[in-house]
Amino acid sequence: MSLVNFTTREITCKIVYYGPGRSGKTTNLQYIYGQVPDDRRGRMVSLATQTDRTLFFDFLPLELGSISGFTTKFQLYTVPGQVYYNATRKLVLQGADGVVFVADSQIRQLDENLESLQNLHQNVLEHGIDIRTLPMVMQFNKQDLPRELILAPQELDDALNFRGAQTLSADALHGQGVFETLKAISAEVLRKLSESSATARRG
Amino acid sequence: MTTTTVVEAWTEQPLVRFVGQSSARIVVVMTPAGQVLAQHGFTRAVDLMSAAALGAAIMASSGALAQQVGESTFGALYHAGQRHGIHLAACNTPRGRLIVLTVFGRETSIGLVQVFFEEFVIALRQAAPVEEPRGPVLPADFENELNSSLATLFRR
Amino acid sequence: MSEALSRSLDRISRVRGVRGSLFVAADDGLAVAQLLMEGVNGKTVAAFAASLTRKVSGAAGATGAGRVRFVQMQCEDGTLLVALAGELLVVALADAGVNIGLARLEMMRAAETAL
Repeated sequence: MSLVNFTTREITCKIVYYGPGRSGKTTNLQYIYGQVPDDRRGRMVSLATQTDRTLFFDFLPLELGSISGFTTKFQLYTVPGQVYYNATRKLVLQGADGVVFVADSQIRQLDENLESLQNLHQNVLEHGIDIRTLPMVMQFNKQDLPRELILAPQELDDALNFRGAQTLSADALHGQGVFETLKAISAEVLRKLSESSATARRG
Repeated sequence: MTTTTVVEAWTEQPLVRFVGQSSARIVVVMTPAGQVLAQHGFTRAVDLMSAAALGAAIMASSGALAQQVGESTFGALYHAGQRHGIHLAACNTPRGRLIVLTVFGRETSIGLVQVFFEEFVIALRQAAPVEEPRGPVLPADFENELNSSLATLFRR
Repeated sequence: MSEALSRSLDRISRVRGVRGSLFVAADDGLAVAQLLMEGVNGKTVAAFAASLTRKVSGAAGATGAGRVRFVQMQCEDGTLLVALAGELLVVALADAGVNIGLARLEMMRAAETAL
């Protein structure tokens, strides 16, 4: 849940990058880490296996500056993609204010994408959250691969986007679509936050 | 009746001895990635999988925290519960770095578990084969390795 | 190590034949304070002393003998002594020929200080 401090005028939100193994979640964070100036980010923590697969999470704290008079900080997390690590994946998801679903555009990974989406729904449900109210965007990563190996964004949208979430194409390895995705999820999260506080004020 | 099951045969004798001496209720021997090499006390693969993933994650988190405070690594963790205690520690063997998760009840104590754990590590080091250099692990292989060890342990 | 505990251990260790003395947390079997000679493994002594005491207490309870106050384990080559002090144990490891009476006296004093 977002932390809002009206005294210090700070907002801290947690964004989780979710998706099947090797879809590019960590790559997104690594790209952001490499591009954001030192004074706008903290150290990136990566708890990974020897073969560089995310074991528990990657974590990157960001300062986005002032939005509507509030200093806005985001905590970006990734989860391990392998089915085996569901117990730890569930832990990382706890308290998420928004989710970026990073789908692997490769045709042969479609089932993995679907399984991961279902897993996300399941884990969110177990945390007692209605997934329809959770801000989410979908990133179709690896759109740079040869056409014959991948599904086009429209096809991926048809296959995966039951929620009608905002979708973006990306090539995270080379940075395409990474910041656009981050901006999109930031906007969704902040919009929801302002809606909730407006409701709270009215109520 | 809880049994001891192993993926790698060399772990069996040291594990059986450790369980007998320490009166541990659950023991899991795994790689730092959470892949199980041997276990005692679990009857369901899903429970073992969660415990292994969580144990490996705790060790990874503690390692990262240790680095933040200027330690190279922490030796062991001990969690004291109402009815159970958990001892989590890593050790280096010729087979590579291993993590051992031990869950014990009030019939024993953390002092005894620690004493027998030291002997367990010595026995593992003596029994372990030398780790062969491994080639790069393909994504599909990684998941398969994790799951096949579970299958071996539960004979599925 | 707190001064009081340290003084107690010092007195116990002065009894001829005592090779090591410890305060041990009874539940955990972990040494809280210790004064040991070369070659004495405090960790092991602490763990086993606690385990032994627990078993003996169970036996005492079962036989209606009441709460255990002192345990003496006499072996061929040595003696293990344990005095109970609430959640702490006062433990001494000594040679087989140690003056048990004297050692026990100091240990019971130490137990009272710890309580």
